[in-house]
Amino acid sequence: MGALLAFSEGMRTLGLLLTLLAATPQAATDQKPAVPEGTVITSAQVTGFDIDRLSPGLREAIRNLAGTPLKKEQLDELAARIEAERPRYVAAVRTVMEPGGEARVFFVVGRQEDSTRDENVNDRYIVEQADLTGVPDSDLTQALRDDLKGLVGKRLDSGEADRFRERLERELPRYEISRRIQRGSEVGRIKLLYEARKKEPPPWLRFEPLHSNTVYHSDQGWGNIWDFNIGDRTIRFTPIFAIANAEDSVEEYSGVGLRFETRKLGTRRLGASFEWSWFDQDWRSQTLAALPLKPEVPLPYDSRTTITPLLKFAFTPDVSIAAGVSISELDALAPVTDSQMANAAVASVDFDRQWKATSDITHRAVASFAVRAGSRSLESDLAYTRYLGQGTYRFDFGRHHVQATGMAGGITGHPPLFERFALGDSLTLRGWDKYEISPAGGDRMFYSSVEYRYTGVSLFLDIGSVWDANTERQVRVSTGFGFHAGPAFLVVGFPLNTDNLTAVLALGLRIPGVGPRW
Amino acid sequence: MWLALLTCPVAQLSAQTLTVDTVGDSLKIHAPGFSFLKGDPVVRLKDGRSVRVELAALVLPSPGKSPAAAIRRIFAVSYDLWEERFAVNTVEKRPQSASHLALAAAEAWCVDQLAVPVKALGSLGRDLPLWIRFEYRILDEDGTTDPSDSRYTLGALIDALSRRRKTDSSTHAIEAGPFRLPTRQ
Repeated sequence: MGALLAFSEGMRTLGLLLTLLAATPQAATDQKPAVPEGTVITSAQVTGFDIDRLSPGLREAIRNLAGTPLKKEQLDELAARIEAERPRYVAAVRTVMEPGGEARVFFVVGRQEDSTRDENVNDRYIVEQADLTGVPDSDLTQALRDDLKGLVGKRLDSGEADRFRERLERELPRYEISRRIQRGSEVGRIKLLYEARKKEPPPWLRFEPLHSNTVYHSDQGWGNIWDFNIGDRTIRFTPIFAIANAEDSVEEYSGVGLRFETRKLGTRRLGASFEWSWFDQDWRSQTLAALPLKPEVPLPYDSRTTITPLLKFAFTPDVSIAAGVSISELDALAPVTDSQMANAAVASVDFDRQWKATSDITHRAVASFAVRAGSRSLESDLAYTRYLGQGTYRFDFGRHHVQATGMAGGITGHPPLFERFALGDSLTLRGWDKYEISPAGGDRMFYSSVEYRYTGVSLFLDIGSVWDANTERQVRVSTGFGFHAGPAFLVVGFPLNTDNLTAVLALGLRIPGVGPRW
Repeated sequence: MWLALLTCPVAQLSAQTLTVDTVGDSLKIHAPGFSFLKGDPVVRLKDGRSVRVELAALVLPSPGKSPAAAIRRIFAVSYDLWEERFAVNTVEKRPQSASHLALAAAEAWCVDQLAVPVKALGSLGRDLPLWIRFEYRILDEDGTTDPSDSRYTLGALIDALSRRRKTDSSTHAIEAGPFRLPTRQ
């Protein structure tokens, strides 16, 4: 206990020392170890404060000091920026000369204990009682209990009381801690009360990613799909509106839909979703012209109504499965023809993990494998099995971003047109037009892409192919660049392995979903 | 000595008006009946915690324009549990403070500290009318947002398209004018 009090006193002394350093009219740079201007800096660190709590720009500026010549003015500016971002802290610069003639830089950061701190008028009252409620005794260490008792019998120190609350939150990460004070048993005395409330554990299942966009494609024209979430952390309703959307398949559809999702059915491992949609189709002339040449492909339809109930189960926060059925009624184009049912059992396994290697470097890996099986046993007129595997890896380092994507799929049987694969839009095989390379889609597909982005400018290379099992496969390659500002984007793609080198432009607005799509 | 001449003050929030006068070489703002300590911050104060509030007074050449002069200060407010009165201090190297205040008086004291030097106004207020924009923002270091999915809402889209700054959501403001100051007597 005594040691803890001594430590606490020591920290306060450090704070005062730092405050004095910061308040000195001269610069904050520590001149004692005479590190001359221009000495090459080997490393720059922040001590006494979690660097992740600074803005990314400031973190990058500090890290970028490594390898540059030491400039006292620059270091003072960075210390001032730390103080500007964290007004309750002071920052001082310490430079250390290394034996090799290079310098190490430390930004020493401490909480202010000077007159700029909040004055709480109750700090003059004596704490007669300090309690923590909402936590079983078994969750409390003896040190925490002792230090809580140590707050009693002294004048209230609001800063110390807040720091103790922060410590409780660190040592009891499953709880949210609040603090308040009450009048004590006699005038001039107060009770210090900490109240713990169990945090709701983070959900394991993820909502379906949103894909809102308005896109103009120089070969395909305008398309829109907008979905909006309404709900909370557990339950979400998502209205869907589509106008001439052609981003997903060879269909160009307009219509509405509604999806309901819950990420918790008694347990955070179990969730469910239910989606209804009605879409009216406008078939492109290229698609209608190609279909007679592919008699194995079922006829186009006038509209499609789909109901998809799904159950989801999470094995871990990263891995989940979903299973259910997709029931679609396809209204025939020709009035003399009956509508068809395309009913499929659907199942997928999903992996999604994001992790930080350092404060500046983030990785994210997403992968899924899905099977859709249309079966007579589900009263389906179309029998088929569709497999689709896809994976994305994303690497973020400050303003540098790299994303690699791969997917492959195959279909057997007679799938409806909306199940057939298509590449060549504003997201895949950019530079190619899907209605030119596979106007009726294909039952085989592979695609891979790598994209590098620095702030709002991107470069990409796409490779992929869509074909039918009984036809020859042609691999297509494209490259290009893009500009991105918030939800707005402009992408120019060039098909490479073709004699007809024409640029394809795509622009519009895209609100990224929670997946790692750009 | 400057005297104030008030012409048609128009507050853009109902039932809240601003007036200005000059004391010495400073333009002072009065916002009678205007309350910025209400709701959760008052609950926190009554729980014995202090609340920081940032107040700003901006002098504008016309509504919605960039300010010609501005003053911005941060105040720490606390509530004495035994005396049931509020105390305020400015958060700066040489703090000013006031105590034993009722809530309205504490708010008025804060507003009173926002004096704009008249010489910073140039011709505004004499040859040209001026408008006053009064802003306040409760500063809460504990306030955190749940990152889960919150970026992808309709609201986020509207924010992105309207170029609204993130901090603006917690800033409240009233604007009034035009005001004119008389020529020096």
